[in-house]
Amino acid sequence: MKEIVTIQVGSYANFVGSHFWNFQDELLGLADSPESDQIFKSHGLNMDVLYRTGETPQGILTYTPRLVSVDFQGSLGSVSSRGTLYNEIPETPVDTLTWTGPVTTHTSQPLKKNLFLQSLYLEENANLGSSRGCESENSDSHTEVQDEDIVQSLENEVQYWTDYSKVHYHPQSLYELSGLWSEINDFNNYGIGREAFSGGQHAEEINERLRFFVEECDLPQGIQFVVDDSGGFSGIAGEFLENIADEYTNIPVLLYSVHSPDSGMDSRNRKLAISRKLHDAVSFSKLSAFCKLIVPVGLPSLNTSRMSKYLCLEDRKPYHTSAVYASAIHSISLPFRMQPLGPSAQLSNTSGAVKIKDLVQMLAGQARQNMVTILDIAMPAPAFTGTQAQQSLLEILQPLTPEIAEGVEDMQALESMTVHGAFASGMQKSHSFEVKDAVQAAYLNAVERPKFSHLSIAQCPLPIPLPFPSIFGNLIGRNGELLDTPISESTSRGSLEVHSVPMAARLRSSNAVLPFLENRLANLRKFGLARGALGTELLRNWGFGKEDAEELGEALSNMVTTLNPASLESSDSD
Amino acid sequence: MSLKVLNPNAEVLNKSHALHMNINAAKGLQDVLKSNLGPKGTIKMLVGGAGDIKLTKDGNTLLKEMQIQSPTAIMIARTAVAQDDTSGDGTTSTVIFIGELMKQAERCIDEGMHPRVLVDGFEIAKRATLQYLEKFKTPVVMGDEPDKEILKMVARTTLRTKLYEALADQLTDIVVNAVLCIRKPEEPIDLFMVEIMHMRHKFDVDTRLVEGLVLDHGSRHPDMKRRAENCHILTCNVSLEYEKSEINAGFFYSNAEQREAMVAAERRSVDERVQKIIDLKNKVCADNDNNFVIINQKGIDPPSLDILARAGIIALRRAKRRNMERLVLACGGEAVNSVDDLTPDCLGWAGLVYEHVLGEEKYTFVENVKNPHSCTILIKGPNDHTIAQIKDAVRDGLRGVKNTIEDEAVVLGAGAFEVAARQHLVNEVKKTVKGRAQLGVEAFADALLVVPKILAENSGLDTQDVIIELTGEHDKGNVVGLNLHTGEPIDPQMEGIFDNYSVKRQIINSGPVIASQLLLVDEVIRAGRNMRKPT
Repeated sequence: MKEIVTIQVGSYANFVGSHFWNFQDELLGLADSPESDQIFKSHGLNMDVLYRTGETPQGILTYTPRLVSVDFQGSLGSVSSRGTLYNEIPETPVDTLTWTGPVTTHTSQPLKKNLFLQSLYLEENANLGSSRGCESENSDSHTEVQDEDIVQSLENEVQYWTDYSKVHYHPQSLYELSGLWSEINDFNNYGIGREAFSGGQHAEEINERLRFFVEECDLPQGIQFVVDDSGGFSGIAGEFLENIADEYTNIPVLLYSVHSPDSGMDSRNRKLAISRKLHDAVSFSKLSAFCKLIVPVGLPSLNTSRMSKYLCLEDRKPYHTSAVYASAIHSISLPFRMQPLGPSAQLSNTSGAVKIKDLVQMLAGQARQNMVTILDIAMPAPAFTGTQAQQSLLEILQPLTPEIAEGVEDMQALESMTVHGAFASGMQKSHSFEVKDAVQAAYLNAVERPKFSHLSIAQCPLPIPLPFPSIFGNLIGRNGELLDTPISESTSRGSLEVHSVPMAARLRSSNAVLPFLENRLANLRKFGLARGALGTELLRNWGFGKEDAEELGEALSNMVTTLNPASLESSDSD
Repeated sequence: MSLKVLNPNAEVLNKSHALHMNINAAKGLQDVLKSNLGPKGTIKMLVGGAGDIKLTKDGNTLLKEMQIQSPTAIMIARTAVAQDDTSGDGTTSTVIFIGELMKQAERCIDEGMHPRVLVDGFEIAKRATLQYLEKFKTPVVMGDEPDKEILKMVARTTLRTKLYEALADQLTDIVVNAVLCIRKPEEPIDLFMVEIMHMRHKFDVDTRLVEGLVLDHGSRHPDMKRRAENCHILTCNVSLEYEKSEINAGFFYSNAEQREAMVAAERRSVDERVQKIIDLKNKVCADNDNNFVIINQKGIDPPSLDILARAGIIALRRAKRRNMERLVLACGGEAVNSVDDLTPDCLGWAGLVYEHVLGEEKYTFVENVKNPHSCTILIKGPNDHTIAQIKDAVRDGLRGVKNTIEDEAVVLGAGAFEVAARQHLVNEVKKTVKGRAQLGVEAFADALLVVPKILAENSGLDTQDVIIELTGEHDKGNVVGLNLHTGEPIDPQMEGIFDNYSVKRQIINSGPVIASQLLLVDEVIRAGRNMRKPT
């Protein structure tokens, strides 16, 4: 077995992660449920890659994500950081055994659980009840009504990422940073995060938690790391990654650095704007130093991107935007979980299994060795034959990586694509070979062709769990098929109307990412390295002296030159 | 006010407002922490929004749990936490002392005194107090065999402020023995060599000192022994995992046999490493029934575990990095990074290795070691918050013992030093100071009394009575502290109440510095700050 340990650092990373685990939980649920479709029952994915089996002190078996999540203190809302699985029977009243003197109790206002969490709680109790007797039948219609309320309430009320999480986490998984003493808004640069992490016990405790999960793995294939790189958390992640690189030398790290749409605004303040630009440069340079493959994710606005043709997204709701990113990460992670099969695997439900190490080798290990990749998705993926086929799949793939060039020709591009749950035509699920043929045909017709492309296919589409936001447009049908005419008046459709969605996602190593790198390099040079630059002082406050800063610049410029050797001469001349 | 012209959005607080903001913040923080102080203080139970419980009597922990917003309070809190980082204790005292200095200053300033003069007085008083502390401290000769009794008294003083007496007394022995175990002559004490492990199991009084090491994981093979005696211990950092070779050979094979051959070849190098370890085992265990245990920092995959299990070896993988060091100190031998030149000299020794399973958690005990220089404090408790609280107390106790050994001195506790220093300042130092700075010295002297005052207050005693009685005794030349049960003066020496010299010095050093800085602030400017609420 080849296990993956997932790490989520930062608020937005946890928003994304929460959706990601909801998909996994939904897959697990659908596989067990008697009513669900055949493709969910035999999805051909090995969930043990992401999950671990455990046992509570009472001997009850548990199945929980192999996850370490780091966030602010208080960011878990109404959910306890220890989860509920491992709680012993609550001792009431809680007595203080270690002190015979006086006790004062400070109780925070208990946070109200929202409708969704309440219903989860009820369901759990009902499950316990139904094992004793049965009284569930008549409540069915009752819950049906409630589902709509739940979706509605989530749409309006989500504040914490736990508000829409239906997954049980292991008590070691969720870590809250205490004692930061800074307002969330001020926790916005690399330096402050680095300081927070290196000072106290945090580093040790977080590393211990990761070790707990890694120790259990027989043969870990890699670490999937999601970081919110818009603020101090990238400083934390940087230090954490350095430690991982040191401790687990041969476990590759696949890093997604996610950015929420709104975090780019408020640039009127000049000082803040410089700080932000420097932060982006520093954090990207630092983070990329300790991983094998880095995927920058996060458009400045999703609503105005081309995604909005089929999806209605509100940029200011992290609940909405993170769902798209989570779907993409889910799709990319599918090949890691497929069972590798012999050459006769044509008819199985999956094909094209790769491990994280193979993927890294494929995209960053060949030819130019560029480790910065672009993430593209098609959500939903179009049907391959029939009426919509003329619209090429390759055109529908939209980048989720910001600041990239479009329509550039790159003879040395490398790609890895995952297509899952795609339709052949109409409602017919397509077989692996059909998808393969279609993709091949698409590439043949395309103007630009990559040098190398890998394709992974799964039959199982993206399941839409109940707490998924209502982001689908009215051109999307019940099973994610694209419709020619709008299905209803309302513009947005959610988990009650859409049950699953076919997806295509692609990682691509191409020189289209050059502007992204060059912007960061230019900002670092302009504000941090140039003589008398405005941000030199700032960098020093973050703990980067002149030499450190130059090293960061060096790393960035190396990344640029691997993609564009011509830039070497131009940068020498100035 | 000129800033208003430059930036109309800036918020400016003028002189008296700024000062009072600072003073109020300091007093507020003092109010929160003061009930914590001393063996009669109040323990605080914090119940979070999601029902999580935290139990603490430690100023440091409490400060970290509070979401402090006021910049002044943050400044004080940072000083206090830094205090904890450098000397391990005294967080609460620092906060209280700063708060009291500000309170005294407020009184003087309201009477028309200029902060500058006050600060000068503080400075004089601080230097005098530090000099007095040098005279006042009780030197302790450490030598090769430290006086265990005095160490115990220091540890007990700290622990009794954190835990109930019976448990504190039990932990006193544990903490002192742990530090003496890792202490090596002529070397600084590295407290990381004391592992602190916890089990959610049984009761707090089952906490014990393990001479040896407790690891929080076990072997990952069903056939490995769960208990073994007379064990050779191999501490290593060698990957025993199958890895794909870097050139991606896996991609190019045309039939199943080729693939098998490829995998087998890759597998072989791992097997060779495993075989070298087995060879060593056969060498040392050939004509006796000793056992062999590998503790590896890197991974060990199932096929390797299989081979090792068949050879009768117990193998643990992914040990903590620190445990590599600890194991060598506890069991002897050396940590090896390669299996190429293994000799029996690399091996350590433990009389007993066994596994303890609690639900999904496994613990491996490495015990009965010869001449250990590393040990484990195994904390047990019925729930997480109890464990966390004992852990905090143990950490403080360890630091206290370490400080004593390194300071080679202790200071009489129970408020004795503070009262003595105050009398010294008022009776001796004040006279040598000219002008209004005298008032600063006096304010400082009165602020020192805050420790015995709050100790008395927390014990439900009348503070004025207590202070009068204590200062009276000191004027007669008796160095006394406060008996918290009766309110009578006692001799701390007789009762065995001692504080750390370095902690006291640190408090006296850092308190006035922060207080002075805060007092000299005459404008508070919030410029260019984004006041938008977090979403």
